[in-house]
Amino acid sequence: MAATTVLPRPKAYDDTFFKPISLWLTTTDHKLIGIMYMVTGILSFVIGGIFALIIRLQLSQPNLSIVDHETYNQMISAHGVTMIFFFVTIFLTGIANYMVPIMIGARDMAFPRVNLLGFWLVPVSIILYYSGFFSGGALDAGWTGYAPLTEKAYQAKSLGVDFWAMSLIVWAISGIMASTNFLTTIVALRAPGMKLTRLPLFVWAQISTSILLLVVGAPLAAAMILVEFDRQLGTQFFTTQGRPVLYQHLFWFFGHPEVYIMILPGFGMISEIIPVFARKPIFGYMTMVAALFGIVFLSMTVWAHHMFTVGMNTYVEGFFMLMTMLIAVPTGIKFFNWIATTWWGSVEFTVPMKFAWGFLATFLIGGITGVYLASVPVDTQLHQSYYVVAHLHYVLFGGSVFTIFAGLYYWFPKITGRMLSRTLGEWNFWTLFIGFNGTFLIMHTLGLEGMPRRIATYANPAWGTTNMIITISSFLIAFSVLLFLINVVRSWHGGEIAGDDPWGGNTLEWATTSPPPPYNFERVPPVHSYMPLRDLHESGEVKPEPEPEPEPEPEPVKV
Amino acid sequence: MTALGLVAAAFLLSSCGGLGGISPIFPAPVSPNGQGIYDLYIGISIPAIIIFIGVEVALLWVVLRYRRSRQPVGYVPPQIHGHTGLEIAWTLAPLAVVLAIAVYSFVELQKDFQPINNQQMKVIVSGHQFGWNYSYENGVVVHQEGSLVSDVVPFVVPVNTLVKLQFQGTDVIHSWWVPAISGKTDAVPGYDNFSWLKITQTGTWRGECAELCGAGHSTMQIIVQAMDQADYDQWVLTQLKAQHASPAPSPSHSPSPSP
Repeated sequence: MAATTVLPRPKAYDDTFFKPISLWLTTTDHKLIGIMYMVTGILSFVIGGIFALIIRLQLSQPNLSIVDHETYNQMISAHGVTMIFFFVTIFLTGIANYMVPIMIGARDMAFPRVNLLGFWLVPVSIILYYSGFFSGGALDAGWTGYAPLTEKAYQAKSLGVDFWAMSLIVWAISGIMASTNFLTTIVALRAPGMKLTRLPLFVWAQISTSILLLVVGAPLAAAMILVEFDRQLGTQFFTTQGRPVLYQHLFWFFGHPEVYIMILPGFGMISEIIPVFARKPIFGYMTMVAALFGIVFLSMTVWAHHMFTVGMNTYVEGFFMLMTMLIAVPTGIKFFNWIATTWWGSVEFTVPMKFAWGFLATFLIGGITGVYLASVPVDTQLHQSYYVVAHLHYVLFGGSVFTIFAGLYYWFPKITGRMLSRTLGEWNFWTLFIGFNGTFLIMHTLGLEGMPRRIATYANPAWGTTNMIITISSFLIAFSVLLFLINVVRSWHGGEIAGDDPWGGNTLEWATTSPPPPYNFERVPPVHSYMPLRDLHESGEVKPEPEPEPEPEPEPVKV
Repeated sequence: MTALGLVAAAFLLSSCGGLGGISPIFPAPVSPNGQGIYDLYIGISIPAIIIFIGVEVALLWVVLRYRRSRQPVGYVPPQIHGHTGLEIAWTLAPLAVVLAIAVYSFVELQKDFQPINNQQMKVIVSGHQFGWNYSYENGVVVHQEGSLVSDVVPFVVPVNTLVKLQFQGTDVIHSWWVPAISGKTDAVPGYDNFSWLKITQTGTWRGECAELCGAGHSTMQIIVQAMDQADYDQWVLTQLKAQHASPAPSPSHSPSPSP
């Protein structure tokens, strides 16, 4: 697009982060709210990472006591809660908040003020949780907070569990608001021509994620309310006199779909990124959509696979085992379709594509170990061991976090108008890939040898070397994240100007300016397929940009 | 890929022996139910390793063969939108594999995980913060209080004897796990769980509590010692004599409704 046709942007959207605080506090714009979600997520990532490093220092050698056991139990709980509830889910909500309306050609979310409220509940939830640390001790029963360890009888001194429970109730309400908003937006506000069969796969992923969160958010809140009843009103739902295992059922009915809430948007991003850089359409669009909904359905029928050792009827266990293993089928379809998309392609391994490939290479391991864990007899050995820690990090870190990095490197130019540095990005990728596998691959073997998870220390000297390798590798991850943060801060100020469409994208977000104006589109382009922008390129209406034009704006001050 | 290299390195290291914490498989099982799990693990590993290598090689092949710098200048990829036959094939093939794994697992589940009634002896294993009590039918009670600084008191069983284990939790949930014997079983307050062991050789095996149960979780070490019948009988007599000399507090078993 010629520079002269670029519309003058409102002052609020100049591509620095420094906007008046009043604008940030009151905006109902889905893009600014999306940025706030993402920044909240990244900050939580850093905080959760610091907890992880403390955990790794503690475990680096046998019989260490860098922190005492009570503190250690608070650290592991805070690491899990922060990463799962405040980083991955929140970040993914943010990137969807930013991208979904643009990708479907809408002006904003359907309920902008619900969006505002939903976002601001997140800091409330986070502050509630961390208040626990100032109440005599935060939650120390793991992020799953199994009763009866969370009951008053075993937690008399502190209010940490109460703050955690209230935090998650607020979090669930926020998530339900966001899900309702996404579904309404996608159903009601699509641009002319954007039929459901032409939705970008990221938007389909967001539909499936929203359905999941809408269904399982309430059971989470219910479990937390019952925990509070037990603690503050003296009921006996989950106490030693009650039914502690009922808590596990309620929690995992939320908890397992939550795993897919954290990975389906990632699948969506990968499905956007791979076709763009392979210069081929996604292979099997309809089976990709069907696979998403297969996962949605199956994920709500597998929760008790977290409970194979609590003593259930073996036929019930067999049912949950079968349903869990069946999830490998839709996931396999997605894997094969992604590979087929690149087959015979002209694949450009840019940083987002590298992260997408890193995701495939590592998530595969998480998927395969998931089948071992689904098998009830094998699970009775592996359950609650370091094998599970390795598995869950392969799906949540190798899966979700790698897709988050892929998505960020891919969409950062759209969000800020500037490219992330490619050199730093390459360093970021390779240090993360090596650090990640160094940390988590040998964790499997510790679990096989009998190291349980969530132990504050261990006496077995044979595990020392392995744990030391893991700890050193975990600091490589920390270094990589530091590189990433430097990259984001530097590029936001002084990165290369991106232009509207730096990658040669397929979907509508690349048809507007970077960053998009408050109304997103001057004129929504016609939509004739699931790759509307590519159709425009081919019909000659919009030429792919050969060279990004310098923006006609004053250079931001270099720091 | 790095992952592959590390897997290879892990296997290589473990074959050298000596080093701990890098075994690609469970410790050698000493009880038939542990053996069943061990065999199942190997059975799953066969398709798992084939699929792992196949997919990683395909990923690598794309990196090597289809990268833009390896394609001719001006190459326009074929615009393929899908292939019904292929998509059906890679739906059905994984389905067949996981169904086979599920059937094998289910057979093992029925074989070794049903509560047994033909036991030769029964021990009630009760977990508390932070330790285990083992109550034998002959009146012996072993108090295995948690410790990290020294070895805990061993839970002694005779070899080649089918021992039924009945798990009870008195406060929070604990989980009894000795990897060389079998999988773990939770000790849940309110109802009893069951497992069994039949150790085939004399020796000592270690385990730990596997369910986070509070600040002393990591101290809840487990030691199981298998003795010849004669040694075991001798051990029982010594225990009974010691208990008569200084009666230990009898473990309080909460009334247990069936699950």
